[in-house]
Amino acid sequence: MPILIQFLRAGARNLLIWAVALVAVMAMYLSFYPSLGGAASGMTELVDQLPEGMVKAIGYDQIATGAGYAQSTFFGLLGFFLGTAAAVAWGTRAVAGDEESGMLELTLAHPVSRLQLVTERTLAILTRLTVLGVVLGLALAAMSGPFDLGLEGSHIVAVVAAWVLLTFTIAMAALMGGAVFGSRVAALGIGAGVGVVAFLLNALGAQSEENAWMSDISPFSWAYGERPLAQGWDGGGLGLLAALAAVFVATALLAFARRDLRS
Amino acid sequence: MTDVVVTTGLTKRYGSVLALDSLDLTIPQGTVFGVIGPNGAGKTTLMRLLVDVLRPTSGSITVLGMEPRAGGKDLRGRIGYLPGEFHVEPGLSGRAHLKFWTSISPGDRTQVHRRAEAMAERLDIPLDRPARKLSKGNKQKLGLVQAFMHRPELLILDEPTSGLDPLVQQTFLELVSEARDGGATVFLSSHVLSEVEQAADLAVVLRSGSIVREASIEGLHTTAVRHLRARLSDADAATVDRRMADVAAGLDVSVEGEDVLVSGLVQGHADDLVKALARFTVADLVLAEPDLEESVLAMYSGKDVP
Repeated sequence: MPILIQFLRAGARNLLIWAVALVAVMAMYLSFYPSLGGAASGMTELVDQLPEGMVKAIGYDQIATGAGYAQSTFFGLLGFFLGTAAAVAWGTRAVAGDEESGMLELTLAHPVSRLQLVTERTLAILTRLTVLGVVLGLALAAMSGPFDLGLEGSHIVAVVAAWVLLTFTIAMAALMGGAVFGSRVAALGIGAGVGVVAFLLNALGAQSEENAWMSDISPFSWAYGERPLAQGWDGGGLGLLAALAAVFVATALLAFARRDLRS
Repeated sequence: MTDVVVTTGLTKRYGSVLALDSLDLTIPQGTVFGVIGPNGAGKTTLMRLLVDVLRPTSGSITVLGMEPRAGGKDLRGRIGYLPGEFHVEPGLSGRAHLKFWTSISPGDRTQVHRRAEAMAERLDIPLDRPARKLSKGNKQKLGLVQAFMHRPELLILDEPTSGLDPLVQQTFLELVSEARDGGATVFLSSHVLSEVEQAADLAVVLRSGSIVREASIEGLHTTAVRHLRARLSDADAATVDRRMADVAAGLDVSVEGEDVLVSGLVQGHADDLVKALARFTVADLVLAEPDLEESVLAMYSGKDVP
C-alpha cells in the first residue's frame, strides 16, 4: 500500500503534535477533577445553578461522576473539537489539498488508480485517528487512578472507539467534499459543517422531548448518546457512524473517478 | 512504424473556454516530438489528456494503442510524465521521494530504484535534504528522474527544461537521446523555440488550441526570425548599409560615436548574415531568439517552407 505509507510518512510529525496536544488538554481537564472534590463535592449544587438548557447541551448533568466528568469536559467538548480539527485537516489534505497544490496530478499520472488513491488515503486517515485513539485511551487509563476517576478498562475502549469513529466520519465528509468538488474550501466547509451540525443537533436534541429527533440524526449522539464511558459499548451507535462514513467514502469514489483533476 | 499517440478531433472545453479545438495529432513511434506554443495555447491541456488527468469534451485519444481512461494504471505505467508545474512533498527528502516513486512503479523495483539513484547522481541532486529546501532547478531534476526512472515507452514532458541551468539542459538532451535510442518516444513541450529545436525531430506549433503549423525541425529553423544587434567599429555607415542590404532587408543602420550599429529582425539561416558582418570589425554581436509569439506569427504569415 504505497500511497498509504507515503501519506502516513508525510504526516508523521503532524500526528505526533496532535497526540501531544490532545493528551495535554485531557490531562489539564482531568487533573481538576480531584480538586473539585469529585462525587462528594458541591459540584452537583454548582451545576444546578447553571441554566438547565446549557447543562444538558454540554452534558454536565453527569459531571459529578468520573466517567461523566471525563465525557463532558474532554470527549464531548475539547477532545471532540480538536479531533474534528485534525480530521477535517487530514480529510481536506487527502484529495482537495493535494489537488490544489498540484501534487495529486503527478501521483495520478503514475500507475495509481483514483480508486486506489482514495481507498489508501481513507485507510491512512483511519490509521492516524486510531493511533490518536490508542494514545488517548492509554493516557486516560493512566490518569484514571491518580485523578480518582474510577473508570473501567472496557469503557475506556468503548469511548475511544466512539471518538475514533466519530472523527473518522467527519474526516470522510471533508474527503468527500474534496473528491466531489476538488476545492479545499468545499472540503473544509463540508467537513467542519458536519462536525458542527452534529454537535449542535446533539445539544438541541437534549433540550426537550420534542427535539429528540435531532439527537436521532446527530452523529455526535450516535457516538456518545449511550454514555460509553459510563455504560460501555453501544454497537448500534457505532454501526450508524460506520454506515455514514461508508456513504461518504462511496460518494467520494464515485465522483472522483469521473471528473477532471483541477489544477 | 506505428503511431504512439493519435488524437482525432480532440476538443477540450473548460466551461466557455475552448482549450483545445478539434485537434488532430499523430506522434510516430521512436521520434522526439515537440509542441511549441505560447502560454495558454493548450500544450498542458493536451498532455494532461494523454495521462487521463483530464477527460476530453469530445474527440478521441489513443495512447500506445489504448484510450487513456480504459488503459488506466497499466497504461500509465508505460508512460513517464513530467507535469508543467512540478510539486513535491515539502517535508520528505529527495531520497524518500525516489523510494515512493519506486514503490508505485511497475516492473522490477530493485532495478528501477537503482536506475533512479544513478540518475540522481548524474544530475547531482542533493537527495538527503528535505524537498522544501531544494532549489527550483533541483526539484525539476527530481521531476526528470521520476519520469525517466522506469524506462517508459512514452515520455510526456511539459516544459522539461524550465528552471534548469545550461549544463543540466545538456544532460537533459542526452537523457532524451538515450531514451530515444532505447526505443522510447518522447513528447515534449516548450514555449522556447530553440529548446525544441535542440531536442526534437518533429514539431507542431500550437496556438489557441489549434495546430498552426506542423514541420520538421529544419523547416522551423529556416523560418525562424531572430533579433539582431551588432556594433561595428572601423566602418562607415554607407558601406555597412549596402553590404547588409544584400543579406537582409529592412535592417536599421545608425552611427553612434565612432561605431556603426546594425539592428533589426532577420529570418532564416544566420550564415550569410554573420559572413557579411565579419567583413567589419565586430565589437559586439547579439543574435537573440524573439519570444515565441513573434516567431509563430512570422511562421504563420511567412512563406511556407516544407
